[in-house]
Amino acid sequence: MEYVVQQGFNALSIGGEYALLALGLAIVFSVMGLVNFAHGEFITVSGYTMYALFIFATPTSAWSLLPIGILASITAAVIFERTAFRPIRNAPATTGLLTAFGLSIIVKNFFVTVVATRSKAVPTPDFFNEMISIGGVRIQVLQILEGAVTGLALMLLLILLRSTNIGLAMRAASKDFNTVRLMGIRANQVVLTAFVISGALAGLAAIFIIARRGAADPFMGFAPVLKAFVAAVLGGFGSLAGAVVGGFALGIAEVVFQVVLPESIAGYRDAFVFLFVGGLLVVRPQGILGQKAQFGEKGA
Amino acid sequence: MLSVENVSVSYGAIRAVQDVSLRVEEGEIVALLGPNGAGKTSLISAIVGLVPVAAGRVALGDVDITHKKTEDVVRMGVTLTPEGRHVFADLSVGENLRLGAAVRKDKDGVRQDLDELLEMFPILRDRYKAKAQTLSGGEQQQLAIARSMMSKPRLLMLDEPSLGLAPRLVEQIFKLISTLRGRGLTLLVVEQNAHDALLFADRAYVLSTGRIRYEGDAQELASSENLMTHYLGTGTEVGAGTSAPG
Repeated sequence: MEYVVQQGFNALSIGGEYALLALGLAIVFSVMGLVNFAHGEFITVSGYTMYALFIFATPTSAWSLLPIGILASITAAVIFERTAFRPIRNAPATTGLLTAFGLSIIVKNFFVTVVATRSKAVPTPDFFNEMISIGGVRIQVLQILEGAVTGLALMLLLILLRSTNIGLAMRAASKDFNTVRLMGIRANQVVLTAFVISGALAGLAAIFIIARRGAADPFMGFAPVLKAFVAAVLGGFGSLAGAVVGGFALGIAEVVFQVVLPESIAGYRDAFVFLFVGGLLVVRPQGILGQKAQFGEKGA
Repeated sequence: MLSVENVSVSYGAIRAVQDVSLRVEEGEIVALLGPNGAGKTSLISAIVGLVPVAAGRVALGDVDITHKKTEDVVRMGVTLTPEGRHVFADLSVGENLRLGAAVRKDKDGVRQDLDELLEMFPILRDRYKAKAQTLSGGEQQQLAIARSMMSKPRLLMLDEPSLGLAPRLVEQIFKLISTLRGRGLTLLVVEQNAHDALLFADRAYVLSTGRIRYEGDAQELASSENLMTHYLGTGTEVGAGTSAPG
């Protein structure tokens, strides 16, 4: 029983991480039709900013690095939008895709050149790695935090999307951006808000990723965001609720395969997970919550 | 109030609007008529900056708005209710109306306008919490117009408000347009349905293959079978009162 509960928390924390990242991808895609392959670089920037602060400012507590990490990710998102994505906003989708790829390569190589290819240690609060006992089951604090923070972030996002003008405008813009502009709402503001949210969610995920691996390296954003893409597609690409459901579904699938696969082939876990996702998409090509694309809709 | 001087609009090599001039005075209802593909939608989209003006000048009063962003033109009091309604399908009726007033700061005024509009469009009050996509075509058209009204525009441009509506609803929409004028609004109405549009318009322009072919008094155009046949191909059918197919 204890084992099942522990694995349940494990699935929840991994799924939460994927959900945060997938949601960031989905928000930017739904608002401006951009598949942001440079999303992983938000995590990398976050990691290196925390590292730089740790080296140069030598803070007494690792806690102080956390808000800086999130802020760095948001700043990166804003800078990417202003410098790389705004000039090509009305270009075809493939232009956006290639721009994102290019940006991702530039950022990775910047860190390879300026810092180093090998990883640099980044401290996180020791509290994260403590174990606490819930009803006799020992759970790592990090896992609980991850689930709780994901839940809180989703709740805040839901409030924003449902009860603020900018949130309503973002939901409306996903289908019909020009009509949103006809309401006098600034396109730049809507897109920038989407990027800020995307960056903030990636920043939260970055902290958990760094807490788990304890270091930053130039390629640290690649694997998590690849998984987040799979999660977003699994949930239904462009659907915000789908991104969350897809994230948790992928997290659960990973843990289930981890548990049930015999030890000799456990190393192929991801292959089984992707096979499972592939199979599911054959049956349901639009993803778990995605709607079948209609003519004239974005992404159709 | 609005003056369009020698405006051209191009899509790549295709010139959709060519050297068009028109003006709309304060308090007027002006009809912009013409067959499908004449360039009517291109012209009004260019006025609000949704498509770029290739040549010429657009001014609101003394202010040049030729190359202004759509959101800035709207903030200056000009808005467009696009063809095919374009309500925000996933949002509720109330949320659609709220977005219409998104840039207004006068909360009391917004509340008062909302009450008035719900009075004018009772169906929107009944369906206030329903998703816009569950509304019928006529209801969506009412929502689209009400949403535009929420921004408190000085000049409202309606693109094909009667398109795809049953004759009874067309009549209702046009009555509404007259009511709006009574409230001091200036209107530029784009229509293929020339007959109904001319009933309430002060002046009319006829656009065909991107050029102005007629401009003048609406009644004169309506009463001249010759002109109607020549420009709009509706001569003997005047009075049928049905909307042209989209």
